[in-house]
Amino acid sequence: MMRVLIRRRIHEAKWLLLACSVANIWFCWVRVWIVSRVDTTRFKQILDLLPDDWQKFLTVDFAWMITYPGRVSLAYEELVVVGCISIWAIARGSDCVSGELGRGTMEMLLAQPVSRFAAITTQAMVTIIGTAVVAGSAWVGNWLGILTTSAKQEVTASWQLPIPLPLVGSEIPIPFAEPKTEYIPMTELLDASLFLPATVNLFAFGLMIAGFSAMMSAWDRYRWRTIGIVVGVYFLQSMAKLAGMAIEEISWLSYLTAFTAYEPELAVRVADLTPEFAWSFAITTADGSWQAHGPMTYHCILGGLGLFFYAFAIWIFTRRDLPAPL
Amino acid sequence: MVFVETQSLSKRYGNFAALDECTLGVEPGEVFGLLGPNGAGKTTLIRLLLGYLRATSGSATIDGLDCRTRSVAVRRRTAYLPGEARLFRALRGRDVLRFFAEIRSAGSVERSLQLADRLELDLSRLVAFMSTGMRQKLALAVTLAADVPLLILDEPTANLDPSVRASVIDIVAEAKEAGRTVVFSSHVLSEVEEVCDRVAILRRGKLVHTQVMRELRRQHRVRATLREPILDVPAEIADGISVQRRGESSIEIETEELPPLLGWLAALPVDEVNIEPVGLRAVYDRFHRDPSGAA
Repeated sequence: MMRVLIRRRIHEAKWLLLACSVANIWFCWVRVWIVSRVDTTRFKQILDLLPDDWQKFLTVDFAWMITYPGRVSLAYEELVVVGCISIWAIARGSDCVSGELGRGTMEMLLAQPVSRFAAITTQAMVTIIGTAVVAGSAWVGNWLGILTTSAKQEVTASWQLPIPLPLVGSEIPIPFAEPKTEYIPMTELLDASLFLPATVNLFAFGLMIAGFSAMMSAWDRYRWRTIGIVVGVYFLQSMAKLAGMAIEEISWLSYLTAFTAYEPELAVRVADLTPEFAWSFAITTADGSWQAHGPMTYHCILGGLGLFFYAFAIWIFTRRDLPAPL
Repeated sequence: MVFVETQSLSKRYGNFAALDECTLGVEPGEVFGLLGPNGAGKTTLIRLLLGYLRATSGSATIDGLDCRTRSVAVRRRTAYLPGEARLFRALRGRDVLRFFAEIRSAGSVERSLQLADRLELDLSRLVAFMSTGMRQKLALAVTLAADVPLLILDEPTANLDPSVRASVIDIVAEAKEAGRTVVFSSHVLSEVEEVCDRVAILRRGKLVHTQVMRELRRQHRVRATLREPILDVPAEIADGISVQRRGESSIEIETEELPPLLGWLAALPVDEVNIEPVGLRAVYDRFHRDPSGAA
């Protein structure tokens, strides 16, 4: 019976899953290609023009951000990637109870010997696995991009004439040729596994939104209202995070939003610079004292919230009255 | 032995009683009708039986199983057709039948297909492109194909054309012959009269009357014009009849048994005698149209 239900759930979700995954793969792939086209040094010149205030909107430093891992990791903050996971999570989460009640299909489904627990958990299973697929597709896009593109870099001529500076005791190398443009395969500059922690962070973020949507759906009767509430909370949480980052006096706001735990570029930075902490709950100094939360803390906050919301959704749904479809 | 039983079953929403202290029992193999206008509590009763709603008070059991706590076991013994059945719009008719047959351990696609054929269904079409009547027929095939001892049909003939309606009534009669219990809710009195053994009439959430159809079929109403005033009713038949005078020259007699009345009637000075079965309409109107109604 569970097998039949799961097959049904997959059938319901397949087109949205396909669309979100393809969009993510395509976008991340193209983005890596764009990153490979712009020389890192030129990127630095652009960032140097930005006022220092911009730094507070980033949890990582500018110097690392202009590296290849830093620039590729920004894909996880892009509208397409965050949008795909959010659309998937809200669409599937909101559908689990209020969507089916609205369409009237819950009535016929629960007329069969199907428990409410089975009805909601099969939907949740497919949604959670789908969230992993959508998040994973961002990584696949990056991996394909790294595998198939080459970075354009300007290299100064290797033949140079050193001019001695007698007073300083140093030399100035004078190149005897124009700088050369070289194409270096991205695989030599980047390791795709660096982005796995960011992908897990994206998955946990999706899980949290899907769980919250499912909880509201389990409580509600109208799907449009469920989506309205979820989107409203989503924007409030985003604003709280932004305001907390932007204004020192209200920085406490960032502790009121779970979105603060969505830090994919930080996870990539840790994996890049201190790989031993890539899957840690805490980052420690050489003497073992606590320095900062590790990426796993962020993943667990988001994922834990998502699972808590799902557990609450099941609790609500197995106890509530089911109204007749309108 | 009672197959479906409710004891003082109530469902309240604040001060509004959707179902109020409903006590009834349905015997195995019985076709039990639920009658009442919209909002009378028929669907609330059915939804309580299926565990969709939590009762405010009272209890409901099917085959001895509590409808709330043993809901899955109850639904293993029950097939339910909602008033306006809605199916998965993205599936074709054949896939819908397969899904519902597979989800029940005792389901059979072949049985569903046979029923669909009998109901003249086009199974190649997507549910989204089916007419309301076709969707209802598809839901009927899903429901009636389940090999279960209890069928709960909530307005099963709504949106159906007359020929398919007749098929549905036949199928219900066949279910009864096969020993299955049927709870049949409908607004169409003639259908209820045709298929039901017993009928419960609900009004504003209360069960106001239970009518055994066999008894109702024996009851007749005689209307006649009097040529001259009649004497009192003879004592030997007085118990089973009620006489109402309508004006100076008309009389209306309701009887539980027609034969004993006929002899007396033949001796009366009456013209324009009209004898008809009392019918469910008269019983229904007693509770829903008569302003001084017994309810």
